[in-house]
Amino acid sequence: MNRSSVETQPSAAASRRSSYRTSGFAIVGCLLLTAAVALFLSERSTRAQAPAQAPKPAAAPAGNAKNGKQIFEAQGCFKCHGSEGQGRSQTAKESAVPQIAPTRLALPAFLRFVRSPTGQMPPYSSQQVSDSELTDLYAFLQSLAPSKVEFPSTANAQNGQRLYASYGCYECHGGEAQGSAQTGGSRLGPIQIPFASFVSYVRQPAGQMPPYTKKAVPDAELADIYAFLKSRPEAAPSKGIALLNQ
Amino acid sequence: MAERKKTSVNRRDFLKNAAAGAAVLAAAPAVPAKRPAPEPRPAAPPPPMSPEAEMGTPSSVDVLTADRTGSDFMVDVIKSLGIEYVCANPGSSFRGLHESVINYGGNRSPEFITCCHEESSVAMGHGYAKIEGKPLAIFAHGTVGIQHAAMAIYNAYCDRVPIYMIGGNIMDATKRIPPVEWSHSVQDAAAMVRDYVKWDDLPTSLPHFAESAVRAYKIAMTPPMMPVLLVVDAELQENPIPDDGATLRVPSLVLAGPPQGDSGSVAEAARLLVAAENPVLIADRAARTPAGMALLVELAEALQAPVIDQTGRMNFPSRHPLNQTERGRRLISNTDVILGLEMNDVWGTLHSFRDQLNRTSQPITQPGVKLIHIGAATLFSKSNYQNFQRYSELDLDIAADAEATLPSLTESVKRQLTANRKVALQDRAAKFAAANRESLQQARDAAAYAWDASPISTARLSAELWAQIKDEDWSLVSTVGFVSRWPLRLWSFDKYHQYIGGSGGYGIGYGAPAAVGAALANRKYGRLSVNIQNDGDLMYAPGVLWTAAHHRIPLLTIMHNNRAYHQEVMQVQIMANRHSRGIDRASIGTSIADPNIDYAKLAQGMGLFAEGPISDPKELGPAIQRAIAVVKRGEPALIDVHTQPR
Repeated sequence: MNRSSVETQPSAAASRRSSYRTSGFAIVGCLLLTAAVALFLSERSTRAQAPAQAPKPAAAPAGNAKNGKQIFEAQGCFKCHGSEGQGRSQTAKESAVPQIAPTRLALPAFLRFVRSPTGQMPPYSSQQVSDSELTDLYAFLQSLAPSKVEFPSTANAQNGQRLYASYGCYECHGGEAQGSAQTGGSRLGPIQIPFASFVSYVRQPAGQMPPYTKKAVPDAELADIYAFLKSRPEAAPSKGIALLNQ
Repeated sequence: MAERKKTSVNRRDFLKNAAAGAAVLAAAPAVPAKRPAPEPRPAAPPPPMSPEAEMGTPSSVDVLTADRTGSDFMVDVIKSLGIEYVCANPGSSFRGLHESVINYGGNRSPEFITCCHEESSVAMGHGYAKIEGKPLAIFAHGTVGIQHAAMAIYNAYCDRVPIYMIGGNIMDATKRIPPVEWSHSVQDAAAMVRDYVKWDDLPTSLPHFAESAVRAYKIAMTPPMMPVLLVVDAELQENPIPDDGATLRVPSLVLAGPPQGDSGSVAEAARLLVAAENPVLIADRAARTPAGMALLVELAEALQAPVIDQTGRMNFPSRHPLNQTERGRRLISNTDVILGLEMNDVWGTLHSFRDQLNRTSQPITQPGVKLIHIGAATLFSKSNYQNFQRYSELDLDIAADAEATLPSLTESVKRQLTANRKVALQDRAAKFAAANRESLQQARDAAAYAWDASPISTARLSAELWAQIKDEDWSLVSTVGFVSRWPLRLWSFDKYHQYIGGSGGYGIGYGAPAAVGAALANRKYGRLSVNIQNDGDLMYAPGVLWTAAHHRIPLLTIMHNNRAYHQEVMQVQIMANRHSRGIDRASIGTSIADPNIDYAKLAQGMGLFAEGPISDPKELGPAIQRAIAVVKRGEPALIDVHTQPR
């Protein structure tokens, strides 16, 4: 095991891991999701306030992108912004999260915002993450490109249902993709995110979800699983179920 | 034992002389000692069934009976402690105590409860104490019995629960019946569990037993409560009481008062809480008694502060407007002052931890947050087992019992609240009330998904069960983590006995016997005890179902039969994914299928009313109704339900 230099953790959560495996899906609380709106608004605000002097994207930041990736994970940026910094659209229950990879801010503005964000995004002090580390993080964000995976029209939901079970998706997300507060697996049916984001997340998940590499699950099989999740029904309104109104 | 007595050297004399003997031995010259002359052999007894044996005069009188033995006195002492039950799997090293309990003691307070495994005996004591607030007794062999009991003792140790255990042993090597008693004897029986008991002793006389028995009870019942162990020699149990007990007395028991926080620290904690903009109260094993719940409600209402109930105990009513457990993480990330009460894992609560190839963690609190903790665990530490969790950098650490400290803390808070501050705090109330209602609605919406699924969703199982028990005086005597905490999210908990928390040490095999033990405690109050039983857990020692049937312990068991050690399915899946191989093989070694275990038949074979397996959700409600009718007659019943994994 390659233990991180950011935070080494040999045993404290061992019992917790044994009995309560919480995934990043669940760990991403409403606060963190909504907090990211602030960065989105701030970026918009920055651009609106100074249109004539819009900072040029830093083409070649000095930071180390590889180290920046580690900081991105260790500081939990992925929790709001996704494992690829792709953000997410607003849904009925959750606020939008801005895409930050690549960020449109210049490095100095990026540093200023992280130190003193507006809105609900939590501030990150220099004790938590240094300027040098933020520079590495910036380099990582700038190195990412949005995913361009297309959803194939040949995807087979029936085969996806079989794969969903055999590849163990059901273990955390439930046999009906209903999710679980104990495993941390979020409800996936019907799936709400685009196929490209789904693939991106499954390949390199944030939080606790184990990664499914291309070697283990080809894109075509992921498409089948996605088709199955897309085909899942919406829940019946709880107001109409007497046992849920006791 | 009569033979033992006849040839015995008084054991106290034996021990008293041991040191002197050893000193003499050390000083003796290194020359071969003269072998003492052999004692003259007694005349051979006449052959049995011969005229000499029947009609002849014996050469000496062989004393074969005794009116009162040491174990009778031990039962007097045990009775003085108010112990209601003894849970035990029978064993010869405590046969004296066993017989004295059932005959001399009349099998009343304590009553002997027959268990099929020592792990069940201890876990029953664990569950019983969670309801009753005091221990029952457990008897076990000092060797194989304590070995069987070890994991359950560890669970209770981690969970801060009093366990009162007596192990039998035979110290004098010349008195052991070969070959079994040699295998059942040990120099230091407590050694194998000493890392996770609070205190143990090996009394060498009846007065010593009396003092140690009372002392052990007192130690177990003083926060932090934990298991204690007495190892009692068979000779001491079985030999006649010297002088017919004229010099023996049962010491009185006065429990120690629980430690309370010092006034300065309590006042400082109150100051921080009153001044905080967004205080959060986190309770884990805070309430030791029903009064503990009321005290926490009083503090929370005085501060209008949200409570996150980690439910190591039933700390806070689930539908109280200030119960914000479902929003816990969000509140923790926004708070400026946290008060933890008897928390098992402060660090883990305040950090996220990522179990990937690189294990990483990060705080979820804001920089500058003030951390206060009140807990008795600080007062007792051991090194070997690591259940003390990661070190937490607290701003104020009050080493005291939380429940005992709450009155003075609340009083101090009220004293420091100005009129203006009270008005400001009231503004929080409406916000939290709305959030509590919203959490309930979100849980109901989530439960609606997969409502008609087969196997049955754990949300549906919980809702069906709640419909049948909500108008009864019910008590959920099992943990709910493995059913996605649905009962805590959907039901209304407002009484202390309605939930007993978890095992403490996460040792599987705790669930079924703890439920039976808690149901045993609930029986005299006429409560409906309900156990949502994990299948893998039951298979460790299913004989406890027979114990429930044999002793007419009313308990409704609903099987959460997901046909797997599901937590481990997920763990193996993590490894398979990490190595990008065999991601469809995680069930090997982790599933409990092929064949599926028929828990209804298993239970029926042990004398329980049982139905199932049920996999159609529409059949579940009526089956639960039928089972409850049996439980109300004073018997255990079981419904086997094929369920979703979590």
